[in-house]
Amino acid sequence: MTANEITSKRTLIEVRDLRRSFDEEAVQALRGVSFTIDQGEFVSVRGPSGSGKTTLLNILGALDTRFEGNVLIDSVELRHLPSPERFRASTIGFIFQSFHLLAALTALENVQMPMFEQKWRASERQERAAALLKTVGLEHRMHHLPAKLSGGERQRVAIARSLANEPKLLLADEPTGNLDSENAQKILEVLCGIHQERNMTMIVVTHDPEVAAATGRTLRLRDGQLTAEG
Amino acid sequence: MSFLQLILKNLFRRRSRSLLTLTGISIGIAAVVSLSGIAAGFEQSWANVYKARGTDLVVTKSIARSTMPGPFPWSLKAELQKMPHVREVGGLLSDVFSVEDSPTVLVIGWEPKTALWNHVTLVSGRWPDDASKDTVAIGTLNAEMLGKKLGDKLQIETREFTVCGIFRSAALAESGAVVMPLSAMQALTEKEGMVNFFDIWLEPHTSPEETEALRDSIKKEFKDLTAFNPGSVSESNLAMQVAKAMTWAVSSIALVVGAIGVMNTILMSVFERLHEIGILLAIGWRRGRIMQMILAESLLLGLVGGIAGCGLGVAAARLLQRSPWVHGKLEAALDLRLLVTAVLIAIALGGLGGLYPAWIGSRMSPARALRQ
Ligand SMILES: Nc1ncnc2c1ncn2[C@@H]1O[C@H](COP(=O)(O)OP(=O)(O)OP(=O)(O)O)[C@@H](O)[C@H]1O
Ligand SMILES: [Mg+2]
Repeated sequence: MTANEITSKRTLIEVRDLRRSFDEEAVQALRGVSFTIDQGEFVSVRGPSGSGKTTLLNILGALDTRFEGNVLIDSVELRHLPSPERFRASTIGFIFQSFHLLAALTALENVQMPMFEQKWRASERQERAAALLKTVGLEHRMHHLPAKLSGGERQRVAIARSLANEPKLLLADEPTGNLDSENAQKILEVLCGIHQERNMTMIVVTHDPEVAAATGRTLRLRDGQLTAEG
Repeated sequence: MSFLQLILKNLFRRRSRSLLTLTGISIGIAAVVSLSGIAAGFEQSWANVYKARGTDLVVTKSIARSTMPGPFPWSLKAELQKMPHVREVGGLLSDVFSVEDSPTVLVIGWEPKTALWNHVTLVSGRWPDDASKDTVAIGTLNAEMLGKKLGDKLQIETREFTVCGIFRSAALAESGAVVMPLSAMQALTEKEGMVNFFDIWLEPHTSPEETEALRDSIKKEFKDLTAFNPGSVSESNLAMQVAKAMTWAVSSIALVVGAIGVMNTILMSVFERLHEIGILLAIGWRRGRIMQMILAESLLLGLVGGIAGCGLGVAAARLLQRSPWVHGKLEAALDLRLLVTAVLIAIALGGLGGLYPAWIGSRMSPARALRQ
């Protein structure tokens, strides 16, 4: 066994009997979901609209801590976590379908936003952000506002931003959902590159079979339950 | 990018609104600065009068029904003079009249042959005769304001006087005044035998405790009268108390309006940015940092508004000072302490106005903000 294989065997995420309902039980978005994900895995989550994919991702990213069951990430129990923000700052990187960049800030500034929680000097933040934009191939677009960038470029800025605090887990909710196939392909390449270079654990919610095919494993959700893995 | 740069960027994004808020704060602060400056100047100008005269104690009626203390008999002087440590007593009768073009001129009758006449210097002409009923001396500033020179006629109420002398005083309030012998003033105001102030000079080396004891015994012996140290003139002068109360009232209103303005601006900007705040929370910002950002924005508005307000206030005070109602009676006291206090108040206003929006912003649910 190589060193890489040993680390990849470590369990990073453990989900047991996860349940989440809204509107006082009227909507049961997740109904007893259990799975584990190892450090370094690249996993896709698929399922019809309304099956609970975003709900699951929000819980894994500690955006939502009001669930039942157990979710452990890097041995931290997320249920009723006292400071989800601190956990997110140290552990999670988020990528959204609609990019969610701050419109008033340039690409370089957007990537620096998460870094305010670190003890880095302004110049250091700037250097790190520039390096990250370079890894997503946007070194020539650093000082552009999001409005001046194409959809694919915006998503690459968002990917660079998700890596800003060197997270342990990258969560992407339909990252190619708003993009044409050419741009989607480019994003997929960037994500795969990050996975390989950094041995980053990544979970991607997607409708795109091509994206799912690029991942090592797929979790399928239907009506808030896992149906099959493949 | 530094945190400060982010704050500035946020404020510059909503440039016109930030500017309007700044205008609101600075007007509020300007009101505080100019009114406080004028009120303090008012106080100082009276203190200066007594300082120039070298007065140790001032005796007036204890209850003032108008801005000028009421009259009491000059004959009480004999008793005052017999009290311990008293070196000299000078009676005076003063009032404010509208004189020709100037709506408020201080007119004073000084008791002849007392130290009251000693602290002023004649620039030209002569002092009015002790018994004269139709000549007056005017201060240099008064001469300038009314455009009078020696020999000119001066109409006060129904009487006509001739300017026989022009004098200089170290105190601005006296520079702008008209001075005549006590008896002439009593005749003018139909208060024969009356004064409304006694200025008392004490023997040299009288200790503060002895002065205090004398003050107490004057208050005890003369029921309607009070005695005060010239330094504490504001406590015993109704006009000054009114001026202070007005300053307080107007300043408070201006400041409340300023604080509400800041709160409105910041609250609106927070409501507009709920989505952004949700994003920041999702990408790892602590709630405390969201609060910091919003508070810093409002504190900065307060700081800049405060500095601008000080500039505006100083200009307004200078302008007020030149108005015919104020000109020649006081000089606004705009010291550094007042300006620093004003800026601190503005910063506090900003903080106060930002507190509620900051709290609202920091309570955002990121998941909900992102679904919108
Ligand atoms: N905050 C909420 N309040 C009420 N219902 C909610 C809330 N969030 C999600 N739901 C409901 O939970 C169910 C699962 O929603 P979720 O967003 O997880 O679906 P999804 O699989 O991401 O769908 P899509 O592919 O359309 O994005 C849906 O029925 C949705 O209406
Ligand atoms: Mg979804």
